[in-house]
Amino acid sequence: MGGKVSCTLGEVKNRADLIVYWGGNPAECHPRHFTKYSLMPKGRFVPNGRKDRTMILVDIRETASAKAADIFLQVRPAKDFEMITVLRALIKEQPVDTKLVAETGLTLEELTDFAQRLKKAKFGVFFFGMGLSMTRGKHMNSAALLTLAAELNAFTKFVAMPMRGHGNVTGGDVIMRWTTGYPFGVNLARGYPRFNPGEYSTIDLLIRGDTDAVLVLGADPGATMPQPAIDHMVRVPTIVLDPKVTHTSKIARVHITTAVTGISAPGTAYRMDEIPLPLKPPLKSPYPTDEEVIRRIYQAVAKKPPLMPPVRPKVPRV
Amino acid sequence: MSQTIFTLKQRPDVPLEAEVLTPDVVASLSHGEVASLPLFMGKRQFRVDDFFEVNGSGTDNLVFHGDCGRVKWIGRAMSHGRITFSSHAGMHLGAYMKGGIIKVGGDASDWVGGEMSGGLIHIHGHAGGQTGAAYRGSMKGMKGGTILIEGSAGIELGMRMRRGLIAVRGPVRDFAGLQMKGGTILLMSGAEIRTGAWMVRGTIISLKPLKMMPTFSAGCVYNPNFLRLYTKSLAEHGFTTPVDAWHGVYRRYTGDTSVPGKGEILVWSGPAH
Amino acid sequence: MLRITGGKVYDPANGVNGVIRDVCIQDGRIVADVEAGRTINATGMVVFPGGVDVHTHVAGAALNFARAMIPEDHLHSEPFVRTAIRRGGISGATPTTYVTGYLYGGLGYTTVNEAAVPILSARHTHEELRDTPIVDKSTCVLMANNEILLDQLEAGETERARHFLAWCVGAAKAYGVKAVNPGGVTAWKWGKDANTLYELVPGYNKITPAGIIQSLARIVDDLGLPHPLHLHCNNLGVPGNYATTLETLKLVESNRAHIAHIQYHAYGGNDWTTMRSESTRIADYFNAHPNLTADAGAVLFGNTVTITADGPWQHLLYKLTGRKWGNIDVENETGCGVVPYVYKEKNLVNAIQWAVGLEMLLLISDPWRMSLTTDHPNGAAFWRYPEIIELLMNADFRREQIKKLPPKVLERIILPELTREYTLYEIAIITSAGPARSLGLRQKGHLGIGADADVAVFNDIKEARKMFAYPRYVIKGGEVVIEEGEVRKTVEGHSLLTQPFHDPKIADFIRPLFQQYYTMSFDNYPVEMERLEHPDVQPCTQANS
Repeated sequence: MGGKVSCTLGEVKNRADLIVYWGGNPAECHPRHFTKYSLMPKGRFVPNGRKDRTMILVDIRETASAKAADIFLQVRPAKDFEMITVLRALIKEQPVDTKLVAETGLTLEELTDFAQRLKKAKFGVFFFGMGLSMTRGKHMNSAALLTLAAELNAFTKFVAMPMRGHGNVTGGDVIMRWTTGYPFGVNLARGYPRFNPGEYSTIDLLIRGDTDAVLVLGADPGATMPQPAIDHMVRVPTIVLDPKVTHTSKIARVHITTAVTGISAPGTAYRMDEIPLPLKPPLKSPYPTDEEVIRRIYQAVAKKPPLMPPVRPKVPRV
Repeated sequence: MSQTIFTLKQRPDVPLEAEVLTPDVVASLSHGEVASLPLFMGKRQFRVDDFFEVNGSGTDNLVFHGDCGRVKWIGRAMSHGRITFSSHAGMHLGAYMKGGIIKVGGDASDWVGGEMSGGLIHIHGHAGGQTGAAYRGSMKGMKGGTILIEGSAGIELGMRMRRGLIAVRGPVRDFAGLQMKGGTILLMSGAEIRTGAWMVRGTIISLKPLKMMPTFSAGCVYNPNFLRLYTKSLAEHGFTTPVDAWHGVYRRYTGDTSVPGKGEILVWSGPAH
Repeated sequence: MLRITGGKVYDPANGVNGVIRDVCIQDGRIVADVEAGRTINATGMVVFPGGVDVHTHVAGAALNFARAMIPEDHLHSEPFVRTAIRRGGISGATPTTYVTGYLYGGLGYTTVNEAAVPILSARHTHEELRDTPIVDKSTCVLMANNEILLDQLEAGETERARHFLAWCVGAAKAYGVKAVNPGGVTAWKWGKDANTLYELVPGYNKITPAGIIQSLARIVDDLGLPHPLHLHCNNLGVPGNYATTLETLKLVESNRAHIAHIQYHAYGGNDWTTMRSESTRIADYFNAHPNLTADAGAVLFGNTVTITADGPWQHLLYKLTGRKWGNIDVENETGCGVVPYVYKEKNLVNAIQWAVGLEMLLLISDPWRMSLTTDHPNGAAFWRYPEIIELLMNADFRREQIKKLPPKVLERIILPELTREYTLYEIAIITSAGPARSLGLRQKGHLGIGADADVAVFNDIKEARKMFAYPRYVIKGGEVVIEEGEVRKTVEGHSLLTQPFHDPKIADFIRPLFQQYYTMSFDNYPVEMERLEHPDVQPCTQANS
């Protein structure tokens, strides 16, 4: 059924001879990715660096990253899932419909060649961006690419990794997992964690108007989320913890200015490959850290009488 | 027939969780006991009568009046009896259901009949996403029973379903029959894209042309006899189907070859000669 | 101050076998007597030293990866509803960190050894362990596929290899050293495995798995680490692997070694259809060689998730199950695979695995050298230990269980012939005194004067399953944390670590290599001591060789 087959970025640096970026534009969005991890570095088993590697870019348009690529494959918008599914069939030498394949924007010959390159790589990697994970099909597009990577291991070594952005989103995901068992979309209202993306994920909660307050930490949903979600944040008490004025802080009922993590507050950031990096602040800040603010809010709330009786029914098991 | 009637006093701002409102729990309780069952709203615990006016007791026939579109988990794991909604029903309606009947006059939300194994759910309005689907990470969706939808349905209809029947009169969105492992889906107004993606086994029947995945192989055109059996059983539930559909010929596709799977998609291609 | 009075005390390290006597506690230590304070009346109960788990996976990148992979298991596992004392979370195959602490405490366990930590993500492991209450924690750092170390062995630089390894233990803030499928994980990075001990490791011209094993066992002993080399042998789980295991045991004849989850390494046969138990051969060799300790890695039927640094095995298991597969290779150091798995009673292979785990526990005659584990969560979740204790203490119950297996299994196993029943004294050894000794933790696993006041009090009843699943009292560091099966207080545990001697100049040697092969700054590599919760450095016997 697939899964997730990944590695730390140093493995890519030292071993990868085939690098595929899919639905992402690292040249502009992750400018150090080529030079530090993927394309340029001379690695232990790819001693000539760029010369020992092939880069393929799959995207709906020729972005700045295409210049760095050896091969650019232009997929039609919202045809990624079909394209990946065809590749899954081709690596197993299963039949596909030539005419329908052409609707992906790529010919069967191009895709067959791509499938061969994937299988022949010594160590291949897919890096995928929001062009894949946030377009029609969303989580199933990511699942498709992760499954393709897993299946390629029947022929060679292959891994896949999301190109995550926006500060420490990986760190949030990692810590949610060890405290609740789930990476995101967690509901703690019943006193224990429950998980259901689509039901409990932030954007869905806001669009449906399921919450009666919003606490925003290290994010600016007011700049990125659809209008109905923003409207809900305006409607209910919204509290923002942020060092700067943001789109969200402008619509918030309360904005608490905090120290900048990594510059004036210590902590840990998890890199996109889940390697923890210590943050050693060079400066001091007159503002409290996010952690301190949350701790103080928590202490104040803890003094209030509990909302729940001491023994609470759980959702029965089936 | 006696009924226990729940009338919603006001539409809740934050969704209510009401997994206790099933015939299995309610049937043996007195009126007072039913009224004091716990409901949850966010992290606060309430009583049933904080939100519902309750009339009657001691039956496994529950009736809901008012817009219950924000009341989740009604009919969870029910094994017998009947639930009727005069208006809308909320998420996870009849999830894990084993038997009995649920009828919804209005719309239902996401996860209708999630991982259900028996019984009947009949929605007269529209249904949300993940109808009859597997919960996240789970290997098997619906394992039995019937879901009938008169309106439209959302994404991932019958995802990973194993057995049972889902019939939808209105249009269906993406990924109908995603990773399907068995059972039957009837699409009377077709579906958007990626129908039957990654299916292993099972049957999807469409009375309208479908946008096929490239990983399906077109086969013969024929009239599958078994469809007449479905006509009969659907008609018994008051779910009518056009006569043409059952006497027509169908193009048979098999796939999804990427898995590789042996599922079949039958697309109506005209009345029988 | 606390006195536990009237209980039957089992303290094998001090030769106390079911004697009614008082156990007194002051300032977190066992003392001869106390003047005042609370008295717990333990009449009709038994008193054990707190449990010690020598091999478990409870924290870090691999386990946390597994958590994300099995939401369906979480959904059907026992939820822990938050109370004023206790945080919310979930149980199941991969409990959340807080719940891990509550569950271990709830079994009377007070010390755990997280058995697989890469240096590169050790900071993550320690962050999780900080969020794991009640228990004290030690960790083993993964070294057998570390490419800088292998390069030194290839070059014959054994002295430098020793300093490098010692530096790594210090950098990871680890307690011991673990070797997983030596050479095999390195090979896996090219999609290959190391199936024989004398083949060259891919990418090297001199070193073999055998060479890596011998070098590591020697280095660990030379450094005087309190815990011997923690060894996960090659060919885990593969039919016929007992031969590899026996060869491996011979390789470490002149050193100490701890053989992890020995159950997974005691199979005969040529393939899955001819697989059989070879527990007798392994146990015979083991019994005659006192340099060895082991833990069981027993299997129980049911749902779980398998997690190991043994990447090639996990890919094989994925192909066998056709379900989900997770894998993370860690640059230059190790890898890890995750596959959800169900052990089925009616499955021939699973039934043999179940039997072999019990056979190893019953055939290894010296309980001091054999610890109870399930290689959590690989064989079963740790909170199912009481089921294994029942199987060990009650031969009739065992026979009943054997009857449920497919009849074909009976000719492949020897379990039906084994009549040994564990005594309470022996259970106290395999769950506490033995693993503490194997880990070299002098403060743990006993109730002598000066020991850490970690105590478990159980009802003295016939059914071991119930007795050990619900301790009446658990005391950690002198505090009553569990009472009548409920968490009453959550204390913070200590981080147990060692700092073996290394030439300080070794860092100058590592730095340029690190900058060449790794992708982070060398200065960010070692875990800072202040990130550990109550660090507690344990001595090495060779302070500065």
